[in-house]
Amino acid sequence: MNDSLHHWPFDTVLVANRGEIAARVLRTVQRLGLKGAIVHHAADRDTLGVRMADIAIEITGETPVAAYLDGAQIIAAARQCGAGAIHPGYGFLSENAKFAAAVEAAGLRFIGPTPQQIHAMGDKVRARNAVEKAGFPVAPSAIEDDDPATFVARARAVGAPLLIKPSAGGGGKGMHIVRDLSQLEGEIAHARSEAQRYFGDGRLFAERYVEHPHHIEVQVLGDGQGHVIHVMERECSVQRRFQKIVEETPSPSLTAEKRREICETAAGIAHSIDYRNAGTVEFIFGAGGEFYFLEMNTRLQVEHPISEEITGIDLVEQQLWVAAGEKLALTQADVKPHGHAIECRIYAEDAARNYTPTTGPLLVLQPPAGEHVRWDSGVVEGGAVTAAFDPMIAKLIVWAEDRDATISRMAAALRDTVLLGCKTNIAFLRRLVTSQPFHANEIHTSWLDGHPEVAQEPALPPDTLHALLAAAALSTKPLRDTANAVPDLHAAIGAWRN
Amino acid sequence: MKSTFKLGAAEHAIELSRAAHGYRLHLGDQVIPFEMESCGAHRARLRIAGHTHDLRLITAGDDVFIQLDGEAHALRYVDPLAHFEATARGGAADTIRAPMPGSIVAVAVQEGEAVTRGQALLVMESMKMETTITAPRDGVIATVAYEKGQTFERDALLVALQPAADAEGGAA
Repeated sequence: MNDSLHHWPFDTVLVANRGEIAARVLRTVQRLGLKGAIVHHAADRDTLGVRMADIAIEITGETPVAAYLDGAQIIAAARQCGAGAIHPGYGFLSENAKFAAAVEAAGLRFIGPTPQQIHAMGDKVRARNAVEKAGFPVAPSAIEDDDPATFVARARAVGAPLLIKPSAGGGGKGMHIVRDLSQLEGEIAHARSEAQRYFGDGRLFAERYVEHPHHIEVQVLGDGQGHVIHVMERECSVQRRFQKIVEETPSPSLTAEKRREICETAAGIAHSIDYRNAGTVEFIFGAGGEFYFLEMNTRLQVEHPISEEITGIDLVEQQLWVAAGEKLALTQADVKPHGHAIECRIYAEDAARNYTPTTGPLLVLQPPAGEHVRWDSGVVEGGAVTAAFDPMIAKLIVWAEDRDATISRMAAALRDTVLLGCKTNIAFLRRLVTSQPFHANEIHTSWLDGHPEVAQEPALPPDTLHALLAAAALSTKPLRDTANAVPDLHAAIGAWRN
Repeated sequence: MKSTFKLGAAEHAIELSRAAHGYRLHLGDQVIPFEMESCGAHRARLRIAGHTHDLRLITAGDDVFIQLDGEAHALRYVDPLAHFEATARGGAADTIRAPMPGSIVAVAVQEGEAVTRGQALLVMESMKMETTITAPRDGVIATVAYEKGQTFERDALLVALQPAADAEGGAA
């Protein structure tokens, strides 16, 4: 295979991201013998990515997030350190066609799709229309852009339940379910305000909402030279507020036949635009086995590691080869899935308080160890979770021969994870993956939002409470000092009596 | 002397005393003997109620973080003096603190402005959702601590009203 250093048209790759994905990308960049550079805001100085990088360049912004959205500053940093390619990670500028074009105009490689492909798939409406035109299944919908004046009436005609989404959206932001059509106009106004704020673009579309849907997505790889393969599907139905928290592959919802159909549909969609890069085609999967195209993410996905674990394919490595102009070295026959993998997203949040984000220092951080246990994280002990960024602390990924064994291994790994100083969802995740509904694959995308009781913390057994209070009391100086002073006091009283 | 620890929403009043070996936890009318020894950085072995637990434990100010049997817990030592002051002060809502970390989407009032109960003061965003913060009572705005676009942590002071007596005096 193509693995000698002189094949690379660049010797340094700049990572334009932060957190766990920056560290994840750097790991493969450095393993391939390339130099890894990173840009970072001052708030991220004490993170794993900055520690790992061969070159770290500080960037500034009005807010920390703004720094990572400043394309001109990032391209200047790439020039400054002699990087020949930029990896955008996910989020931030990863699906920004203008940034991709600016990177290429600067004579650098964008480790992603062409700007045209980002443009085609970045807008949900355009993407949906293109996919429908190419003959693939999409849900019945009303698109505001087709005729803004009649949007509300057309949305009403699709019928309830309806899902209203921002055209320029992603990541669950600004999505609203309408079950009662009398509330349609109010929900549209609300969704538009959120869309305007998150994406600077208030255009909406409405589509038929599939009740109790499963979210199934397919990993694809293309080289922009006519070759596209799929790297199997992922089941991502465990969500709260439209955000995934547990993902697994293979999907327990699919028969072998349905699996082949959905994976080949995804590869077909990517092939129809001669896609270049790793990407994900997302589908809504209904209880009757029907599935509709949802969107295509033209970047590496948060949950990509589970696909890597069952296939042995390093998706970042494939992204790098393709960006270097190589043809895909893998054929569909090379994708041989084996075993089962689950990912849990560890968040700084209080599940019992409606999953509100928490912040705090990472005073003690000890990831779980063991065979087939993978910990993808960007934080280090002594760091902190702040309100400046997304509250995801780490991704815990485990692999085993079958689903039951994977669930057991995940439960054990969550139990072995030590993270003190900041409230996390670790205990909740452990209860969830060992629960009967998860075991039976009954969890659909809105299940958690409808079962807030699952997130409540069970009452502590008295023995546990006593152990905690005993340990806390002895660790608190005023209490320890008072208790320890008593024998001395007896001695003192004795002396005084004499 | 009794000391209080907060664990979640619950408060537990306890006492700690020495025993011949180790210590005793006093909780209500229960007396529970235990022994605990340190074994390395932030590690301890606790023997209590016939069980031995290997703990991870760290303190930060009044917070005690404990990993026990695969689960993390946070306890807060409530300083007896602070505890007294908080109960004595009562419930006058002069300050509005952040219920969760987030950022400011819009600020609707200025310092010195008179507001009525329920009036929108600012809009914050957290968990990708907007929340409107309203005035808890009639009053005059003393402080607006953040500008649009700024981020804050949980419990941060967002808005302060002038104390009720001052506001009445100003209006008279």
